[in-house]
Parts: sequence; C-alpha cells; structure tokens
Amino acid sequence: MIQTIRIGNLLRETVMRPYRCLVTRPTGAAVRCRIEEALARSDCHITLLDFSDVELLDLSCADEVVAKLLLAEAAMPPRFLVLRGLREDHHEAIEYVLTHHRLAVTATMHGRGEPRLLGWVSPDARAAFDCLCALGAARPGDLAEALAWSEGRAREALQALLAHRLIRPDGERYLPLLSA
Amino acid sequence: MTRVIEVPAHLDDRSFDQFAAGFGAWPPEEKVLLDARGAQWASPYGLIGMLTAGQALAEAKRDRPLLTVPQSEEVKRYWARAGFFHYAAELFELHGRVPRAQASGPSDVLLDVTPVRATEDVHEVVGKISESATRILHGELGLELKATLRFTMALSEACQNIVEHAGTSGWVAVQAYTFRRRLGRRVVVIAVSDAGIGFRRSLESTHAKRFGERWGDGAALEAALIQGVSRFRDPGRGQGLAFIKRFLDQWKGKISIRSGTARLSIVPPWDEDVPLSEHLPFFPGAQVQIIIPAQDAEPR
Repeated sequence: MIQTIRIGNLLRETVMRPYRCLVTRPTGAAVRCRIEEALARSDCHITLLDFSDVELLDLSCADEVVAKLLLAEAAMPPRFLVLRGLREDHHEAIEYVLTHHRLAVTATMHGRGEPRLLGWVSPDARAAFDCLCALGAARPGDLAEALAWSEGRAREALQALLAHRLIRPDGERYLPLLSA
Repeated sequence: MTRVIEVPAHLDDRSFDQFAAGFGAWPPEEKVLLDARGAQWASPYGLIGMLTAGQALAEAKRDRPLLTVPQSEEVKRYWARAGFFHYAAELFELHGRVPRAQASGPSDVLLDVTPVRATEDVHEVVGKISESATRILHGELGLELKATLRFTMALSEACQNIVEHAGTSGWVAVQAYTFRRRLGRRVVVIAVSDAGIGFRRSLESTHAKRFGERWGDGAALEAALIQGVSRFRDPGRGQGLAFIKRFLDQWKGKISIRSGTARLSIVPPWDEDVPLSEHLPFFPGAQVQIIIPAQDAEPR
C-alpha cells in the first residue's frame, strides 16, 4: 500500500496561513511532526511526500523536514519514503543537506516519473540503483551481469541501498520503491 | 553633553567603519546625535546600520538618540521610499522635515527596510520578495530563473540567523543599483543587520576553546563562514552560510559579515576588499551584506 502526503497542504494546516514557501526551522520542525504523526497512523509501507505545491524550500526546512525525518525513520520498523514533485531548487537544497548527513532518499522530479537518488551513497550503490531502476527488478546475479561486476560486489551495493531504504526486497529479488 | 556622529556622505559597507568609530566606547555615555544633513546616498547596509545603532542604544537604555535628516530632497525621498524614516521615527527623535513615503510602481527597492523579529517575519519577507526578485534578477541582471529561488533561499537563511542567534531583533533590506565605482554594472544587494550578541558571543561557549588565544570576533566569523560551525550541537546546523557561499561562488557574488570589531569577506575577482579586517571600531551585533552582480557583461 502506498500513501501520499501533500507537503503544501500540511504546511498550510500547520501554520494556519496561506504560505506556499517552506522556510525557517521552526516551521520545518512543525511540518515534520505532522508527517511523523501521519506515518504513525498509517499501515502503508511506502509513503510519497509530495512537494509539488511547495513554491520554495529553504535549506533549514530541507534539513528539518527531510534529513531529520530520515534520521528518525532509520530507528523505526522498515517503511519507505519517496519524495515526489521536486523542482530543481527543492532538489538542490535536499541534496545538499542529505549529502552533509550522509543520507539518501528516492525522489521523482516535478512532472516526471522516473526515480532518482538524492543524497550520499557510494558510487557502486548509485550505479546499482540506476541499473535496478532500468531493470525493474533484479537478483544480485542479474545486477552483476548487467554491470559486469562480481556477484559479491553487486550484493554489497544492493545491501547499501537496502540500508538506506532506497530499494525493497522481494524474495531473492530487489525492487525499486516505485516499481509495480 | 551630546556626541555628534556625522553620517558619511556615502554610507555603505566601506564607510561604515568611520560611522562606527563615531560612537567611541560602546555604549556611549552621552546622548547621541546622528547628523545626516550632508548625506548624499546610503546603501541598504547603511540604512539598516543606522537603525541598528538606534536599536542598540535603546536596548542599552541610553537616551533616545537624535537624527537630523538629509538636506537633499532627493536623498530624503529615497530614504522615505525605502521605508527608513518609518522605523527611524520609532528609534530616533527626528529633526528636519521628512517626506511621506509614496506608493509607486516597480522600483529598485526589492524589499523595503523590514524588521525581523520572529519566524513569521521571515515568512513575510520571503513572500514579499518573490515577484520583484524574478523581475530584477532574471529580467535585469540576466541570472537564470532558478537563481531567483536560490536568492530567496539565501535571504531566508540570512534572516533566520537573526531570529536564531542574535538574541534580539534586526533588519533586512534588498535593493538593486548600479555599482559604478567598484564594478560598473547592476547589482542586487541584500543587507541584514541586528543589534544582538554578535558571532563571538554566540559561538564562545562551544568553540572558543579550540581557538585558544586566537579567539575573537575575527576567529568567530571564520568559524561560522568558512568552517560552517554553529552554537547548536545539532549536526544539521551551520549549513546556511556555507550554502550561500557556494552559490555566490557561481555568480561571482560577494558576502561580507561584520561583527563586533571584525569583518570577514569572501572576495570575488572584481572587488579589492581584504578577506579579513580586524581591530575595527566596535559596532553591536552583526551586519551581513550579500552582493550579486549582473551576469551579462565582463567586469571593468
């Protein structure tokens, strides 16, 4: 099951004003608390955080909303977060703070469907992510063959992606979060 | 006794030290008179610097300072249009006729002099600037459209520093003008100033020890701007200034921060400023200036 949380709506409900810009740390922290409440109430394994009606996201809010949420989620039972509807400036701010924290998340850009990886992972993990998205689903052996790697190297890259909750296991296979 | 401080004819970041020197030991014991009669021009940095002085004197519980307004009608009109007199009247006893600020169409003032007291003010500033920022940055300065959003992010981060670190309120103003002497092209200038505790006191409890005897206003500015440290233990803090610095590199922009007795600047190729100036005349709080030049011509 997949649920969608519209961040713009949550912002306006949280501050009770018609703001479209997600700025300042206190605002970001308040929005994150509302997201955490929604996640706690939900049984869904995948949550899409939809930024498409957020006009501006500053660095402080990227840190408070996305980085701190990922840090908190790391301690929670496995569930997956995907950012959706990002514009280039959102992307830049989030990438910056996630790299600072050595975190990563799956995201899709505004008006586009293909997933991309934001933040920090090893070059092997990034290559494995791109390959897995292209393949749709793969066992370590499939990935190794596609990338001309040893199976051990492919397995290690997949484990790194799994640790960041950027892919999900399905028996012996691994799937990108947004695959059917 | 009244201490008369002559406002430099051109009050900007360069002449600001002369202005600060006029106060002597801070806070001055005598009643203060800012004499702006001979003023011919003031940058946003200069305008909010004067307000910061008035605010700091009020917070130090000194007598309400006096301000004689510029003699030039044109200068007075401009200061009024930028919103300066509106707030100056709260902090100073004004002497001289002040024109009423007139509503006008699009102007070079992207953001009037605006107080920053709380988080809500940062939201207001960001909301107000969006439309004019696109018009000036993209339309006039030739910056790519996404630069407008980065610019607004920088403004947001700079204003938040007041709310989070200063311990008091502050001011922001944004304006476009032609930087004739130094650059020969149009620029947008963000000026942010507060009368708060300054960078040294903000960072002292968490970072002074590792600097040892070097610790002071200059070292505190280096720690914040170059090393990205913050007084908070939260590892996500301290990224705001680093991010501003990064995109200013791309645009050949300049940031300078004055706090206490030091000023630290990231100096672009077109400017001749020194990176670090220490032992300057003391001025309370912190003053930040960000300059973004037009991108469509080579500097002279």
